[in-house]
Amino acid sequence: MRKKGTRKAKGKFRALRLVVLIGFLLTMALIFLVSTLGSQKFGPLHELLFEAAGPFQNFLAKGAEGIRSFKQDYVGLLTVRQENKRLKAELQECRKLSFRSREALATNTRLRKLLDFKETSRLPMVAARIIGKDPSVWFRSVIIDRGSRDGVAKGMAVINGDGVVGQIYAVSPNFSKVLLAVAPSSAMDVLIQKSRVRGILKGTGALTYRLDYILKTMDVKEGDHVVSAGYGGIFPTGLPIGVVSKVRKKRRGMFLEIEVTPAVDFLTLEDLLVIEQEVVPVQGDHKPLLPSSGQ
Amino acid sequence: MFVLGFFCIGLLLIILQTTIFMVHPVWSGAPDFYFILVAYLAYRHDLLRSLIILLPLAMIFDVLSGLVLGMYPALFLLGFFTLKFLSDRLPVRESLYQIPMIGVVYLLVSWIVYVCISLAVSDLMVPWSWPVMLLRALLVALFAFPLFRFFDFFSRSIETRFSGMKRPRVQGGNRYRE
Repeated sequence: MRKKGTRKAKGKFRALRLVVLIGFLLTMALIFLVSTLGSQKFGPLHELLFEAAGPFQNFLAKGAEGIRSFKQDYVGLLTVRQENKRLKAELQECRKLSFRSREALATNTRLRKLLDFKETSRLPMVAARIIGKDPSVWFRSVIIDRGSRDGVAKGMAVINGDGVVGQIYAVSPNFSKVLLAVAPSSAMDVLIQKSRVRGILKGTGALTYRLDYILKTMDVKEGDHVVSAGYGGIFPTGLPIGVVSKVRKKRRGMFLEIEVTPAVDFLTLEDLLVIEQEVVPVQGDHKPLLPSSGQ
Repeated sequence: MFVLGFFCIGLLLIILQTTIFMVHPVWSGAPDFYFILVAYLAYRHDLLRSLIILLPLAMIFDVLSGLVLGMYPALFLLGFFTLKFLSDRLPVRESLYQIPMIGVVYLLVSWIVYVCISLAVSDLMVPWSWPVMLLRALLVALFAFPLFRFFDFFSRSIETRFSGMKRPRVQGGNRYRE
């Protein structure tokens, strides 16, 4: 019974303490409110609260910013792969376009050169394109996409913007075989442009010519330009053929040993012109040494 | 079908050799695919079918390359019969020996044809160069293995398809017992 009474008294005391505490706090709050509303002054207590709340606010703001940034990055990451793919495709397209432009520019330059040559020479010509090359190591010839239907005939001269390329060797209605001037079986009448000395230019099979039958007494120097002589009516006079690159005087023999570097770059041959001029063999002149082709 | 198929392959090889594999007109590094086809037919197939395939191809090659008509038929036939003779008479049936043999025969046949033409017509051909010809023989030997595999595959697939069309269907098992 005594225990029950003691417990009851303790409970009452606790409730009383709580009421007193709440009352105290409410009173303090009321006083603070009344004093604040009355004076409207940002006092030390406000400053204290402000200082206390600031770090939390700062922390939360930074956290929110971090979360927002992370979210943005993540969403960005999801789209970045697609963006990357799109950019790669765009880059590929740009590269392709650039390559095509470069190719078109090169073709344009080459064709302009050919056109200039065609216009200045005033000779009947037909433009042709190389479609095949002789795979043999013993012969030097190419196949072009023009034949007898285009007016091409055996023996006609083939040139490009830089000079003499060769001669038509065999013809079919739509295609022709061109014997290159560097072929060992090719030979033509030429002149040294400066001294007007005449000789026979022969192919060596490599990227050089050999100039034969020029007497040791003649004045030939390295760097002299070699042009077509125009005898025989195959190559018009003055077509560039090459430049003298070596002159050797041997003790024996009557003639000089002359090496000529071709004016034409045989490594990059593409577009050609066939001079559609009837071949009239002239007696006593050196004719190009074309073997019979069974045409 | 076999003849037509191999003729088309030969034609394709000739076109490849005269276009893509010839970088410029004085290029020496183009492999002579035609000789690999000659060797394959000599090693693996009968005389009649091989000649029916090779002769038109040799004539096409003659038109596209060289200045001496008849040079390629001579090269094709000489190469074919030499390789056939060697494969029949010598123990070179193993593919280990066959491939180097193609290179050696290519070199030998080329040299014989070159000498013959040089004797007949002077100043027509580029002077003989051993380094260049050895390179060509090496290229022939190098390309021989993959092309032989391809030719085998092609030959098998043609034969399978053709024999499937020709033979009557044979039903398995005893259908009267079921």
